[in-house]
Amino acid sequence: MSAVKVEALEKDYGKVKALKGISFEIKEGEIFGLIGPNGAGKSTTLKILATLLTPTGGRAEVFGHDVVKDGDEVRKLISYLPEEAGAYKNLKGIEYLQFMAKLYAKTGKSYEEMLEVGVKLSGLESRLNDKVSTYSKGMTRKLLLARALMVEPKLAILDEPASGLDIINAYSIRQTIKQFAKEKGITFLVSSHNMLEVEFLCDRVALINEGVIVETGTPKELKEKYEAENLEEVFMSIVGGQQKVGVFG
Amino acid sequence: MSDFWIIVKKELKDLLRDKGLIFGIIVVPLLIYPALGQMMQIGFQQAQEETKIVLVNFDEGDYGSLLIKTLEAAPNVTVTTIEALNLDEALKKAQEEDYNMIVVISKDFSKAIESNQKAQVEIYGIVKGISGGMRESVSEGRVNAVLTVINDYLAKLKIQQSIEGNPDAILRPIDAKSYTVIKGRIVPVPPSLVANIITSQSISMPLVIFVMIIIVAQMSAGSMAMEKENKTLETLLTLPVKRITIVAGKMIGTATIGIIAAVAYMIGMRNYLGSMMSSSGEIGISLEDLGLIATPQGAILFVIIMFLAITFALSFAMLLAVFAEDTKSANTIVSAGIMPMVFPTFILMFADIETLPLAIKYILLALPFSHPILASRAMLMGQYSSMYVSVLYLGILSTVTLLITARFFTTEKLLTAKLRFRRKR
Ligand SMILES: Nc1ncnc2c1ncn2[C@@H]1O[C@H](COP(=O)(O)OP(=O)(O)O)[C@@H](O)[C@H]1O
Ligand SMILES: [Mg+2]
Repeated sequence: MSAVKVEALEKDYGKVKALKGISFEIKEGEIFGLIGPNGAGKSTTLKILATLLTPTGGRAEVFGHDVVKDGDEVRKLISYLPEEAGAYKNLKGIEYLQFMAKLYAKTGKSYEEMLEVGVKLSGLESRLNDKVSTYSKGMTRKLLLARALMVEPKLAILDEPASGLDIINAYSIRQTIKQFAKEKGITFLVSSHNMLEVEFLCDRVALINEGVIVETGTPKELKEKYEAENLEEVFMSIVGGQQKVGVFG
Repeated sequence: MSDFWIIVKKELKDLLRDKGLIFGIIVVPLLIYPALGQMMQIGFQQAQEETKIVLVNFDEGDYGSLLIKTLEAAPNVTVTTIEALNLDEALKKAQEEDYNMIVVISKDFSKAIESNQKAQVEIYGIVKGISGGMRESVSEGRVNAVLTVINDYLAKLKIQQSIEGNPDAILRPIDAKSYTVIKGRIVPVPPSLVANIITSQSISMPLVIFVMIIIVAQMSAGSMAMEKENKTLETLLTLPVKRITIVAGKMIGTATIGIIAAVAYMIGMRNYLGSMMSSSGEIGISLEDLGLIATPQGAILFVIIMFLAITFALSFAMLLAVFAEDTKSANTIVSAGIMPMVFPTFILMFADIETLPLAIKYILLALPFSHPILASRAMLMGQYSSMYVSVLYLGILSTVTLLITARFFTTEKLLTAKLRFRRKR
């Protein structure tokens, strides 16, 4: 069974058509990247899969559960990291992880195991005993990432996971994701506007532009097909001609 | 631990650690109101200070001296008799030496009394600004009290000299004794006094309910808005927890703090009122003395009605908070939504619902927050059938609101509604 199945998915925000009928599939254990420029519709797609938004048309399934009809079931399988997110300011970092671990404890691993993994992943060490309100943006991001991964969901949906992190932290996050996919068989759906980052990380990618998926495949396939050095060049050669580049164009 | 309690616990922790919030809703009412009360107290104490009287006696007879002796004997009064030729001289002296009263006994004072004519005493109070005249009025009261005693005494003396019989009975031929009938029982207390007690009760109850509802509503909407402001909402909504559990957990968490806050507010308020009461003299009769006691049945019904009203306030506030983008707009929206439901119930402070025009009566009955106020009276009067109707009505109303709120939490409205709201403006 595929981990994620998206068919002709559409989403309108009032008059704005954010998704114009996209389809893709993610196999279990895969790291799948949804890449495209700002406003392409990445976050919208991820929010629909995380059961936060209702699609206007088409359908989406997570391990066979419809995200609209079986929201409760889907939520038991996923862990979602929003693009812009915070943690409860008056809680200490460790209390935030404890709160989350308690809620996920019945879905699989034990509370203690999760907490141990979370503490290690966050890399915050003694700062975990400080209130979240005293954290820098990067520290908060690490805390949120740690909580998203420690629960070891069947599917992790990460929206721009490395946003706001320096290269060292971004690198170590990518290593962790790869390790979790390999060792624990977790499926990942990762969005990014940084095509190079995705190239290192993902098994397969979908290129999305203005609500349309323009290409899907492994980074290697795509580079060969378009005779390009990297995914950035692939993307530009696909959309380059028709792309409206805002103030620069 | 169930999901519900995990969420409640997190909610409590997050709220209780918010220093600003705790200060604003618990410390301030606990400290500020008693402090206000203390300030009033000081005002009263100043007013209770010695009344210093400058006395000018132009009379030469015995009755002038009798008045002076009685004044001297009165509590909290010091009398300084001066020799002055006229009022101006006395005024000058009084102002120079911080006296606040001048009493002038007129020339033929004793002669007038002896010949059964009216005798004259002039009383001047010297107002010195700031105290707002409270001290002067207390002082005048003291002098007047002395005069009443003397008046009475002299009248009885004269009656005794001229007619046979009980001078008191002749002076006040009719003796009225007032009773009040409450719930078919005769209580030896004048109805005016009972009315006072019931009025003070019927004014304080709506105020208490008002404070409680507003605090609880603001807090629950605020905690929802806080999730949006701090960007924790999206994560919360993707957790493996039923949406209704999230709503309920939030409601109970904030309601707990809200009720602590309301209790703090009431304790503060009570101390404030208390310190004013004690100085103005208490009536010393309680509702219990009047036989207005709630039976267990009444008390339970009242608690249920209160609980349902708060549940309604909470879920309605959460529903409103769906449309708020941050804590500030949540405050505004909740005030705009709840106040119109609360203010009309203030009519009940001054009016009996049965005597109001029919249209107003039904509007009030439709408003959920009238019911706890009505119930607080029905409980004491033992009118349980109306309370059962309230339970039924509030039960339906709060269940429906709760379901609508939970329904909103299962749709994307919670995340997108603010944009609609913004566009409308
Ligand atoms: N809540 C919203 N209301 C209206 N339009 C939105 C909303 N969220 C996103 N959009 C629009 O939908 C399109 C896709 O947005 P998004 O999915 O956030 O893109 P990405 O994550 O790829 O940058 C954009 O044009 C954006 O302006
Ligand atoms: Mg995005």
